[in-house]
Amino acid sequence: MNRYWKLVNFELYRFLKLYVSLIALTIILQFTGVVVKSLSYVHQANSDIYEHGMSRAQFIEQNGLANFMQIAGSLWFLAPIMISATVILGYIFLIWYRDWFAKNRFIYRLLMLPTSRLTIYFAKASAILLMVLGLIALEIIILPFQLSLFQLLVPADLRQDIPITAVLGFQVLAIIIPGTWMQFVLHYLAGFMLVCVLFTAILFERCYRWKGLFLAVLYCAASVMVFIAPAILAAIRIIDFYPNELVSLEIVLGLVVMGAAVWISQFLLKNKITV
Amino acid sequence: MNVTFNTRDPVYVQVVRYFKEQIAIGNLKAGEEIPSRRELAEMLKINPNSAQRAYKEMEEEGLIHTERNFPSRITMDENILSSVREELIAEAVDAFVQSIVAINPSIEEVVELVKKKYEARKQGETT
Amino acid sequence: MIEVQNISKRFGRKQVLKEVSFTANKGEITCLIGINGVGKTTTLKAIMNLTPINSGKIFIDQEVIQKDTYEKITFIPDANIMPTWMTIREACDFMKDYYKNWNQQRADDLMRFFKLNETDRITELSKGNTAKVNLMLGLSLDVDYVLMDEPFSGIDIFSREQIAEVVTSHLIEDRGVVITTHEINDIEHLIDKVVLLDNGVVLKEFTTEEVRLTEGKSVMDVMREVYQP
Repeated sequence: MNRYWKLVNFELYRFLKLYVSLIALTIILQFTGVVVKSLSYVHQANSDIYEHGMSRAQFIEQNGLANFMQIAGSLWFLAPIMISATVILGYIFLIWYRDWFAKNRFIYRLLMLPTSRLTIYFAKASAILLMVLGLIALEIIILPFQLSLFQLLVPADLRQDIPITAVLGFQVLAIIIPGTWMQFVLHYLAGFMLVCVLFTAILFERCYRWKGLFLAVLYCAASVMVFIAPAILAAIRIIDFYPNELVSLEIVLGLVVMGAAVWISQFLLKNKITV
Repeated sequence: MNVTFNTRDPVYVQVVRYFKEQIAIGNLKAGEEIPSRRELAEMLKINPNSAQRAYKEMEEEGLIHTERNFPSRITMDENILSSVREELIAEAVDAFVQSIVAINPSIEEVVELVKKKYEARKQGETT
Repeated sequence: MIEVQNISKRFGRKQVLKEVSFTANKGEITCLIGINGVGKTTTLKAIMNLTPINSGKIFIDQEVIQKDTYEKITFIPDANIMPTWMTIREACDFMKDYYKNWNQQRADDLMRFFKLNETDRITELSKGNTAKVNLMLGLSLDVDYVLMDEPFSGIDIFSREQIAEVVTSHLIEDRGVVITTHEINDIEHLIDKVVLLDNGVVLKEFTTEEVRLTEGKSVMDVMREVYQP
């Protein structure tokens, strides 16, 4: 195992407790959501039909068929996703700052490892990416079970079955789990770019402190500008792009922004970092 | 081995003196094996380079011998060994004379007092 | 040889190091002494490339520091730098994972010598034991140079004795050692060379045996002359 993979492994291990909590939270809240939502629908149906003598057709006309989208759109389902996203976003900062500000100064050891300092940077970035992909994988794995549970709880004549692909195309899920491989790769490449830009901003702050904070803001603004420039130009119709052109251009610019982030970080880590 | 070093004389000089004292009182005998430089530094808690320099000094004075790849030993040369004793005695007497001359007593008076004190001390040690 | 050539460093407006130069040889113990100011630790950090300098050059065996140099020189700071959740054993395993020159035999010897318990967690260690763990982790690397930051400060007398013992022992072998301190008492007999720093300037650089031999002065005597004119 080379030092890069060891470091990735190490970073993942350090996040493990929080990560397991996120996984537990997601599973518990989402499954609870499926149960609560399904049962409340069935309960409503039972009470209307058997106690208030409503016909099935009437009930369905009034309430609509039960549908998994209603669950997937509920806070039960979205809250754990949003919490996970927030925690990981926070951890992008914490993964560096904890090495400076914990009771230990682990950054000393990291910077004195007999390996390129960029390895540390990439290990931390890869760890973040793997954490995100892990949570996505979890969502993809538990979705079919949630669907089955829904079907188990709601009788067939009261529900509208939709294919899992349609569920995936819904709301937040469409963003975190894009439909095609190409889109998936693009989304996560963009995500990785974002991580690199934030890491570089953090390093600016760590190297120059208050002045660095200012530089970091400028740097982030510049990166965002470069990345979204074509979209803006297209939006205000200065240049018209074919969709394919726009995608290719964005890929190129994304790589440029990422390359710049890595190059600047390499410079900062080698020449300017201070513990 | 427990030696207290003063801070103003070179450590290696003090180590050499310590060895000479041990030879003079017979604690170190002719041909006896002595610790390596590293061991000596550890025992006396001194810098290994000072131990090294002390051994070099003693080799130059012929006090110890080191054959290649063997531990250093005290010399077998009785002339050198007895001269160490004389040297130490002469040194001590020199120091004594230097301080007593400043007070300017008669030599008889001094010798008498030295005799008395020396015997009292010896007696004290044996009882 | 570690060569520090005319290094200067500012923290904001404060000049921490001003044209500092000295050398530290392999097989010798060099002591960076400063009774006040921050220059000592900063100098060690600069040698390890843990903080940038504004001007000057640093060479380790004629080379500028790069990643492989960390297999050749190590820095033992005065505080814990391993994650607190680790046990001493896990800290050793971490070192073994990343350094080719980790010497487990020596680590075991040092743990026995310091009476460290390898299942203890880093977070539970006393100040003295933290210093010993730091020393154990640093000295178990087969490196040519060891930089120790204030190994004796804030530690009980018996731990100080043990640490002094290690510094003269075979565990050091013929490495080059640089120690920073503000207190010379425990180690006057241990050091080869002294660099006296004050307010970021080198006031005097001398070898201890030489100054005793030619001037009949102790390190403390020289410090008194230099620091109290």
